[in-house]
Amino acid sequence: MTPPFRTTLWRVLGIQLATLILLWLLQSRYAS
Amino acid sequence: MHWINWVIVAVYLVVVVFDGLRRTRGTTNIEGYFLANRSLPWWAVGLSVMATQLSAITLIGTTGQGATDGLKFVQFYFGLPIAMVILGVTLVPFLHGAKVYTAYEYLERRFDPKTRSLTSLLLLISRGMSCGTIIAAPSVVLSSIFGWDLIWCVALIGVPTVLYTVIGGVQAVAWADVKQMFVIAGAMLAIIVVLIVRMPIPMDDALHIAGAAGRLQVFDFSFDLSKTYTFWSGILGGTFLMLSYFGTDQSQVQRYLAAKSVDEARSSLLMSAYWKIPLQALILLTGVLVFLYYLFQPAPLLFNPRHDALVRAQEPAAYASLQSRYTAAIASRQAAARVASTARRSGNEATVATALTEFRTSEAAVSVIRTDALDAAARVSGEASRDVNYIIPRFVLDQLPLGFAGIFIAAVLAAAMSSIAAELNSLSTATVVDFYQRWIRPTASDGHFLTVSKIATAIWGVFACIVATYAATLGSLIEVVNRFGSFFYGSILGVFVLAMIPRVGARGAFVGLLSGMATVGAVAIYVPSISFLWHNLIGVVAVVAIGLLLSVGASASATPVRRSTP
Repeated sequence: MTPPFRTTLWRVLGIQLATLILLWLLQSRYAS
Repeated sequence: MHWINWVIVAVYLVVVVFDGLRRTRGTTNIEGYFLANRSLPWWAVGLSVMATQLSAITLIGTTGQGATDGLKFVQFYFGLPIAMVILGVTLVPFLHGAKVYTAYEYLERRFDPKTRSLTSLLLLISRGMSCGTIIAAPSVVLSSIFGWDLIWCVALIGVPTVLYTVIGGVQAVAWADVKQMFVIAGAMLAIIVVLIVRMPIPMDDALHIAGAAGRLQVFDFSFDLSKTYTFWSGILGGTFLMLSYFGTDQSQVQRYLAAKSVDEARSSLLMSAYWKIPLQALILLTGVLVFLYYLFQPAPLLFNPRHDALVRAQEPAAYASLQSRYTAAIASRQAAARVASTARRSGNEATVATALTEFRTSEAAVSVIRTDALDAAARVSGEASRDVNYIIPRFVLDQLPLGFAGIFIAAVLAAAMSSIAAELNSLSTATVVDFYQRWIRPTASDGHFLTVSKIATAIWGVFACIVATYAATLGSLIEVVNRFGSFFYGSILGVFVLAMIPRVGARGAFVGLLSGMATVGAVAIYVPSISFLWHNLIGVVAVVAIGLLLSVGASASATPVRRSTP
């Protein structure tokens, strides 16, 4: 069963945003 | 390599080929062969798209890049989810609803036959050559690592892939991709677990050291067109590159044309968007962990064993001097890393800062010696060193427990095979549908077209293997073709954008396409400082502007195609 397009869309955007935040946190904490 | 590792590789190859041969069901007609009778579930299409993009060079080259340059390459993919969303609501419903076999077929319905033929021909030239380089890149690495003749490595990758692609068509390709994606993900996770378990200092300290060495710098917000990887080139240039690739390259378009419905096609695209940035970040992070691992283990001076042997044999005195400097430098770097780790636990910020500065100095000293060694390798071998591609294979073969090397080699083969199979299948589709059926034999039985399709796949497979075998000598030619390819990717996307604007006619599209390619070519030649990531954006803008300009005032010679699906 295909999930509705809008649900998939929000999930995609959510995962990308979460990844960007994680990468930002990684950089802020460790990069010097 | 231990025989158990070879057994793992052999089992993988037998399973993939056997399963591919088994999946000939439904491939008795051309729609079954090229589009799996439009019956594939969205998740299989999504995994297939992901596996296709993840080539062997991503697996070995990108991890190596993580070890040497850190995480900044991930910015390249920032535009991908945006592109997927745009395609999901624009081009996918158009193409899927038009019930076409190739994306270019749609351009004939919308414009004229010459626009279709030109775009399809451009694909054949560029992807035909790039298919050869996709086989060549891992073959060269395997050949150097195992000391085999290049032709055997090309055969190891090429023969099974051609076999299951020719016989099973897109059905075999897509289902093989699904399995290959699991093999690749499994191998990467196994390597990461081993790296974390074997880290001799706490992970928090290790990451601080990686950060001090510049390996955890992700974002670069400078708006500099000459820099390849910045936040803006990823978001803007990357979006247009991905739109061009996923929207107009037959190897990708064919995947979602094979989906059951428009909704499934859209979901499959979004599914590959789900994991792309996290997956690439993970691959680069694996490289960073390998860098950290080698801080505490003796790393080879040159990771490419063939180059190492060449420099050692032809410049023994220089090699001995480099090696002794290198041994001393990595010992001092290891000591500095341990001091930095201990200093962090002291809690004294000044001590930590001094220790990290000390570490940076020792890391810079190691880099200088490595650069000297790479220069020597390039001088002696007469070719670019590309040592970065050998870091992960050497790490896996020399350092990991028994069995891991087999899984890793299987994953490299899987990554190469999934990309090649998709290319061969799309090259064959474009050859048969856009040229043979369109210009030579418009009407014939399905059986006839099926046979021709299989022959076309086999011919493209043999062509790609020949290109791969001569990749070293064809080096500059391949570079020219790839450069040529970057001239028209954005321009083809521009034509598809024009196709969605009702007033644009065939003349505007064709002249726009030629002008767009010329514009990008001129920019690439006369303003070489502009990074290639911006070329696609320039191509799209040029084609759309010129196409619109030519169509304004012209009577509605274009007959807009009605959208057959919402």
